Amino acid sequence: MTLQILLAISAILFAFGLAAVLSRSNSIMILIGIELMLGAANLNFITFWRFSENPSDLVGILFAIFSIAVAAAEAAVGLAIIILVHRRINSVEADDASNLKG
Amino acid sequence: MTCPLCDILKTCCADPMKFLGDWFVLLPALVLLLAAGAAVVMRNLIHAALCLTLSFIALGIVFIALGAEFVGFVQLLVYVGAVAMVIVFAILLTKPERLTKSGSAFSGLGPAGGAAVGFVALVALLGFIFTSPLAKKPLPAPASAPVAAIGEALMGDYVVALIAIAVLLTAALVGAAVIAMEDKQP
Repeated sequence: MTLQILLAISAILFAFGLAAVLSRSNSIMILIGIELMLGAANLNFITFWRFSENPSDLVGILFAIFSIAVAAAEAAVGLAIIILVHRRINSVEADDASNLKG
Repeated sequence: MTCPLCDILKTCCADPMKFLGDWFVLLPALVLLLAAGAAVVMRNLIHAALCLTLSFIALGIVFIALGAEFVGFVQLLVYVGAVAMVIVFAILLTKPERLTKSGSAFSGLGPAGGAAVGFVALVALLGFIFTSPLAKKPLPAPASAPVAAIGEALMGDYVVALIAIAVLLTAALVGAAVIAMEDKQP
């Protein structure tokens, strides 16, 4: 197994997340796409840690842990916003939240 | 008396990591990609959330297989335990069967546009990955990240970052609760 296989897996995961964010209409599906992209970033951190010259530095591990914490905060705020928008306009579709369009 | 199957099973149970070799990482990675792809294309939101959960579980197993046990278990706890559950809650609270006025599950760039942009990004990334001089780097000796060392690093060199992330998480969760709270009209 070489570095490029794991990086390719991570790139495919990122592309799935990007496609979901750009094409799905439901806000929750957009959030799922963002989570997939964050997972791809975490996989990269762990991969580069595993292949690093000095794995006892733990930099990749710690970066992944902090990234997971930020992702958890992001998911909580994102879903709170989705629930609030649903209460205001009775829809979770991203296209329906167009009040600022004028 | 020995049978070949028993021998295989014995080797597998004695040291699954050695028996499976690279497949210990590649098998969950395959499940990860299949589940993530399914989550992206599912029309039913609950199915998409379940596929996302499966991909989180597979990602945690990939982390564990790569030697980052602590991150793998944190991934399982935080993503499978918390994030996936919160997503399912949001789906149940917002009646996902309502579709857009156009009745489509896709908007923005549409399924073809999203797939095209994703494909272009993938080709660009893969181009860099496979032409990089680092690409052919073989797997180094097994690395491990003992939890004690992670704890010492978090309490030592990274204590400022730990405090910052604690403040961020508290602020984000309190903010999320305030945002989602019912407006009380006086």
